[in-house]
Amino acid sequence: MQAEVGIIGAGAAGGIMALELASRGISVAVLESGPRHDFSRRGEYVRRYLRHENPWTISPPTLDVYTVGGPTPYHLAGRRARGVGGSTLHWEGYALRLHASDFRLRSIHGVGEDWPISYQDLERYYGDAERMLGVAGVPDEPEASPRSTPYPLPAFAFSYSDGLFARACQTLGIAFHHLSQARNSLAYDGRAQCRACGTCQACPTGAKASVDLTQIPRAEATGNTQVITGATALKLELDRSGEVNAAVYAQADKVERRLEARVFVLAGGAVENARLLLLSGSRQLPGGLANRSGLVGKFFMSHPAIDVVGRASERVYPYRIGFSTAMSRQFAVAGDRVTQGAFLLEFLNSAGPTPERIAMASGRWGPALRQHVKDEFGHWLGIRVYADQLPDRINTVSLNPRVRDYFGSPAPHIHYSVGRYERAALDRAKEIASKILVAVGLTQIRPTGLSFAGHQMGTHRMGTDSKTSVVNENLRCHDVPNLYLVGGGCFVTASASPPTLTIAALAIRAAEHIAARIRPTRQSEPARAPAR
Amino acid sequence: MSFTRRVLLLGLVAAPGLDPPRLLKWLGGRGRGFSATAAAAAEPAPELTAPEIDDLIAFAEVLVEGRPLSADERKVLVDHIEYRITQGGGYYLELYRTTAQLVNRLARAQFSSLDVAGRIAVMTRNRLTSPNVLPEEQRGGISDDTRAVRTRAVPDLIGGYYGSDVGWAAVGYDTFPGRCGDLARYTNPER
Repeated sequence: MQAEVGIIGAGAAGGIMALELASRGISVAVLESGPRHDFSRRGEYVRRYLRHENPWTISPPTLDVYTVGGPTPYHLAGRRARGVGGSTLHWEGYALRLHASDFRLRSIHGVGEDWPISYQDLERYYGDAERMLGVAGVPDEPEASPRSTPYPLPAFAFSYSDGLFARACQTLGIAFHHLSQARNSLAYDGRAQCRACGTCQACPTGAKASVDLTQIPRAEATGNTQVITGATALKLELDRSGEVNAAVYAQADKVERRLEARVFVLAGGAVENARLLLLSGSRQLPGGLANRSGLVGKFFMSHPAIDVVGRASERVYPYRIGFSTAMSRQFAVAGDRVTQGAFLLEFLNSAGPTPERIAMASGRWGPALRQHVKDEFGHWLGIRVYADQLPDRINTVSLNPRVRDYFGSPAPHIHYSVGRYERAALDRAKEIASKILVAVGLTQIRPTGLSFAGHQMGTHRMGTDSKTSVVNENLRCHDVPNLYLVGGGCFVTASASPPTLTIAALAIRAAEHIAARIRPTRQSEPARAPAR
Repeated sequence: MSFTRRVLLLGLVAAPGLDPPRLLKWLGGRGRGFSATAAAAAEPAPELTAPEIDDLIAFAEVLVEGRPLSADERKVLVDHIEYRITQGGGYYLELYRTTAQLVNRLARAQFSSLDVAGRIAVMTRNRLTSPNVLPEEQRGGISDDTRAVRTRAVPDLIGGYYGSDVGWAAVGYDTFPGRCGDLARYTNPER
């Protein structure tokens, strides 16, 4: 198989790049290791989700093997989804721009690193990404960096419980604003308005943006894109000039096949991108491909998270919608970022146990059980905290040759820890969240245990110096001129905000760069998301 | 007799308060999903007998409501049992079978033939209504099958029932996760 551009992975970054390139008349082949999840069968996925199962499991399970290590193991199960759509299949849909200061952490605060690009460099692409994904929002965040384009969709209204939080935050002088998200507050771009189904990790209506519903089908409709599912890239091969000339892949039959292309893009996520580079080593490149810096797989980051919850005397009506509608990013920008990380506060619309959980924990039976469920349900409110994480060389993705996947390739091994900087942020966040819950009038206030977001970043960071980074500002590998790495792995720092909108904006920008390289004289603009 | 749609139908027909049109509608609506599930299974579905299902439902009725269930409520439990056996294979088949055998042995009769008061008497006398095994029970010795029923089957059946639309109805919700509805509802208190 041959194409001008070969993309490994059909998730947020890969799907967007495929559409951007194919819309410019460039032939694209996408290798996706997972299946195409048929939208007409989404009801089955919803049922699995409601039964507390991972809706997005695939066969064979040995395709998804991994191992963990370190003081705070980071498990991938449930934190990534394989298939056309990638993590957009199960993401929450929160679509936030980073703040301008997030790109300059070293310059401003003396910690972490600066990105090789600024917020201003990315601002236009953020607007493109918001239109492409259909972001609902309103510019009411006091600390937000300037934007040149309006949100394409109106924000989701605040919830009933948001009103309780808003009054408390006002009393305490804490910013309280809408949470922008790639979810249809109105019908948009051929997708339906959200119907509050409450199962956003398996959205049954298509109201939540997912590249399997929009970008990939549109890329295919151009006639310039072919998506090969169930096709796992095993390694990349170099020609004599040091460029990648083929991706070797296999499907369930384990027969090795080759995809040849002028340009390759790895879009498999921070873990799998690093893994494929490490798997592509040779006698000449024992440390793996594109790894002269020795940094492939290093500086893995996520967002450490906790919930702080409290009990209300009256019912607060949780579980009527599957996503949050309000947040505070005041502490994601302001304050001490030298000794403790930034953090954001997400005001949860659903906290506390469901009727099922209340019943199972009750110890009662019969009529007393039913009455207990009725009395106990709906009294809990919660605030979720996501903390920034500094890039730390100790946090890595490497290969574990003792554990092998379906194809016999070494599994990825994730060594992960949460340092003093992140724990200080979580401690401060707990204090602030507790104050808010006290001001709401709650009792039994307590934090839950440490958790981690399904955000994986930093394993092939951007930079201008080939000794301290893996890709340049256009996401092109320093070492391999026709190889691009996209997705969260490019992030230099994590910020406290969800990464997907930035991943999308960077992918659009990189696609523009690749297109200019392949078609230097072509001026045509790619197709953009139609107005609603 | 195998655990088939025919068995389920027979069980539901025997249920008090049956509404035949609703039953037929349910069966018609379920056809596609049932086939898809069955097709996805690589091996033949494990089996529970019709009497075992009756005993299990009779046991669960006492746990979840302490009264005879309506046909719709029974269907929730039957669906749950079916799903567990289809997905969980031998584990749940064995657990449910153990449960049916235990209650029959303790009742010294077909458990499902007892009225609710009789079932409650058997279950409370043998502490089968509680998933929590007390320290004195531990010291006194508790059989493996009783422990399995109390610590695994009881929470499983309660969770299956209250995790369904019946559980949400118990707290006053007619739309809930998995049932789409009015987008504006979440902005106001419930009526």
